[in-house]
Amino acid sequence: MTRAAAHERRATAEELELLGLLRAGDERAFEELVTEYYGTMIAVALTYVRTRAVAEEVVQEAWLGVLKGLDRFEGRSSLKTWVLRILVNIAKTRGTREARSVPFASLAPEGDEPAVDPERFRGPGDGFPGHWRSYPANWHALPEDVVHGQETLRVALRAIERLPPAQRTVIVMRDIQGCEPEEVCEVLEVSEGNQRVLLHRARSRVRQALEEHLDA
Amino acid sequence: MIAYKFLRSDGSGVFTGFAWPLPDGSPGAWVDAAVDPCRSGVHACRLRDLPLWAGRALYEAELAGDIVEDRTKVIASRGRLLRRVDAWDDALRAEYTRMCADRAHELALGASPPLAAWDAVVEPSIPEGPALLGFVAARIADERFGAEAYHAERARQTAWLVERLGLEAA
Amino acid sequence: MHESGEHVTCREVVELASDYLERALPADEATLFEQHLNFCDGCLWYLEQIRATVETVGRIREEDVPPETRDKLLTAFRDWKRS
Repeated sequence: MTRAAAHERRATAEELELLGLLRAGDERAFEELVTEYYGTMIAVALTYVRTRAVAEEVVQEAWLGVLKGLDRFEGRSSLKTWVLRILVNIAKTRGTREARSVPFASLAPEGDEPAVDPERFRGPGDGFPGHWRSYPANWHALPEDVVHGQETLRVALRAIERLPPAQRTVIVMRDIQGCEPEEVCEVLEVSEGNQRVLLHRARSRVRQALEEHLDA
Repeated sequence: MIAYKFLRSDGSGVFTGFAWPLPDGSPGAWVDAAVDPCRSGVHACRLRDLPLWAGRALYEAELAGDIVEDRTKVIASRGRLLRRVDAWDDALRAEYTRMCADRAHELALGASPPLAAWDAVVEPSIPEGPALLGFVAARIADERFGAEAYHAERARQTAWLVERLGLEAA
Repeated sequence: MHESGEHVTCREVVELASDYLERALPADEATLFEQHLNFCDGCLWYLEQIRATVETVGRIREEDVPPETRDKLLTAFRDWKRS
């Protein structure tokens, strides 16, 4: 693992309590957990497998793995990280079988990907090189219901669906599911720096999609 | 330590939005914050930092507790606003902006060949106000003579502000 | 990464915006970033756009578990309980 050991998160008291309920066979606790983790699990599975249908199978298989290991889980990592790690291992195996194995290194951000089209900045021969040719719009000046409307939300969702898998997973985990950066690093085995680059690129692409929609 | 702080016109912090207790004949209440540059702590300017942070409303502040002097700002664990520097009003802001614009033209057109592309930047920037024009002038100086000239231009701007605002060099 | 230790350009600022919101910039870079925002309305609006993007994405509703998945998993849980 690339992250510093200091960032390792152990199971919280709340998680240990939940663990107790699961071990005692509390169906409601199990259902709540399945619901809470579902979006993250699908997103993480889709990092490694191609189709939604396979991702769905991976999620189900992961829960079976969780149940099998439940009595042996010692709380050395957070419950969520443990569940997601089981999922990643299954997803990787499925991905290899699908001939879409995402090797360890390839989750790292690749190449150069400017957040904004370089054409929008003045060139080296211009006065004030690197400065905006013309400024991006002030979205605060737009009517509230445009920025906060359903259509804008749909544009964001479509933009996220079109992201490269690693970027999509990171933005879903961080900005939709509210995961901590450390959780992302542990689950996907990426460094803190790479987690930030993936998040930055994902946010930049979604911003661009929103800009195209809002400026239209 | 006496320092200065630019706030938005409503008295809130430019980057934090923090609602500062404003002086009202007597100093505003003390504010405490752990020092962690750019994250936490009371951020303020020394005189020489003024042009870099030029904003809407200027206050004289008193800093106390742990004080860290950074390259372009000061961070303290305690601070309070002593008084608003009333001389920094719209008229003086406009005058300072004009002074920087004139300097920018002088620096751009004094080069041979003249930095025409840079000169063209100056007038359209004026509506954006003093901080941008101060930067443009210093940046053109940098373009012509290098980093030292950038600092010299900033020092020139500081001297203008100190004199016109009637501030004492600490 | 900067052409000068004294300032950053708009082109550089857009690459730092997300890290700035994450509070992940080293202190000296954060200072240059804020100095730039102090004079550049374009970058101020850009940063607000990134903020609005994060907020918008945050309003996307989390996905519901499809009923078949839920049923399958609850059955598996009951089986596991019995074993």
